[in-house]
Amino acid sequence: MLINYLPILIYMLIAVGLLGVIVLLSELLGKKTHTVQKDIPYECGMDPIGDARSRYTVRFYIIAMFFIVFDIEAIFLYPWGVVFKPLGWFGLVEMGVFIAILAVGLAYVWGKGALEWE
Amino acid sequence: MVVPVSYYLALSVALFALGVIGVLIRRNVLVILMCIEMMLNAVNLAFIGFADYFKAVDGQMFVFFVMTVAAAEVAVGLALIVAIFRNRATVYVDEFNILKW
Amino acid sequence: MQIIFFILAGVALVTGGLVVFQRHPLRSALWLIVNFFAVAGIYLLAHAEFIAAIQVIVYAGAIMVLFLFVIMLLNLREPEAEAKFMHLGQKVGGIILAVFTVLLLIYGVMQVVLPPGKAAPPGLGNTESIARLLFTDYLLPFEVTSVLLLVAIVGAVVLAKSKLK
Repeated sequence: MLINYLPILIYMLIAVGLLGVIVLLSELLGKKTHTVQKDIPYECGMDPIGDARSRYTVRFYIIAMFFIVFDIEAIFLYPWGVVFKPLGWFGLVEMGVFIAILAVGLAYVWGKGALEWE
Repeated sequence: MVVPVSYYLALSVALFALGVIGVLIRRNVLVILMCIEMMLNAVNLAFIGFADYFKAVDGQMFVFFVMTVAAAEVAVGLALIVAIFRNRATVYVDEFNILKW
Repeated sequence: MQIIFFILAGVALVTGGLVVFQRHPLRSALWLIVNFFAVAGIYLLAHAEFIAAIQVIVYAGAIMVLFLFVIMLLNLREPEAEAKFMHLGQKVGGIILAVFTVLLLIYGVMQVVLPPGKAAPPGLGNTESIARLLFTDYLLPFEVTSVLLLVAIVGAVVLAKSKLK
C-alpha cells in the first residue's frame, strides 16, 4: 500500500537530482569571467535603478490570505465530493450553509475593496 | 514491520521541544510564529500516531481541524505583525513593549 | 517501513533545528517547508493519506507562501541582529526550559498505559472514512469552522487594510 507512493518518491529524487546535477555541472564546467559590466543586472540596456529586492506591496499579503482561507474551503469540498451520493440532500444543505457563511466573507472583502489592485 | 506508536510520540516530543526552544530564544516574531506552526505540527503527529494505533479516524479528524485553525491563526497573526511593523518598524519581540508605547 | 520512518524523522529533526538556529528568516521559512514535507511523509506511513495531502497543500502550499510574502513585504534582508535589551542568559534559560519541557512530556507519556492496538478495519484512513465522520459526527465543528474562517477574513482585512488608504 505504501508501495503506491514509490513513483512519487522516484519523481522527487529525479527532480532534486536533476537540479543538483545541472547546478553542479554548470558550476564545474562553466567558464567564469567577472567584469563590472557583466555583473550588472540586464534591464533593457538601461542602467539599473535601485535594488532588486525592493519592498513588496501589502496587496500580495491580502491576496495570499484570501488564498489560504478559500484553500481551506476547497479542502473541505474534497471529502464532501467523495461521499456526495450517500449523503444526498442532507449533505448538500450542510455544504450550502458552509459555503454561504464563507460567501458572506467574500462579499465583505469585495465591498471593502480589498480585491481591487490599483 | 509496523512503526510503534512510541516512535511517533518520541518524534512529536522532539519537534515540540525544538519549537519551544525557537519561541524562547528567537527575537524575530516571524520565526516565533513559524516555530508555533512547528509545535502544532508536532501535536498533529501525536494525533496521527494514536489514530494509527487505535485504528480510529477521529484522530485524523482532529488534525484536520487543527490545520484549519492554524491557517486562520497564521492569517490573523501575520496581519497583526504587519500592523505592528507599520507602527514600530521592527519585528523583534523585545522592541514591542507596547505597554510603554 | 521503520527505516523510512527513521529517514523521514531525521530529515524533520534536522530541518526543524535549521529553522530554529538559522539567523535569516527567509532561510528558516524555506527549511520549514522541507520539514512539512517530511512530516507529510510520516503521515503517509501512519496510513493517513488524506491528511498527508492536506499537509502539503495547506501548510507547504498556502501557509508558507503567506510567510514568504510577509518576509518580502517587511523586506527583512539582514540576519537577526543581536538583542539590545536581552542578555545571553535568556538563550541559556530558554534552552534549559525547553529541556525541562521535554522531560515533563516524556514523564507524562511514560505514565500512560496504552491498551493493545486493534486489528485494522478495511479501508481506514482513506478520504471516504474521514468524509463520513466529518459530515455525521463532526457536523457542528465543521459548520463552526466556516464561522472561524469568516472571522479570520474580517480580522485580517481590518488589520491589513486599515492604514492602506
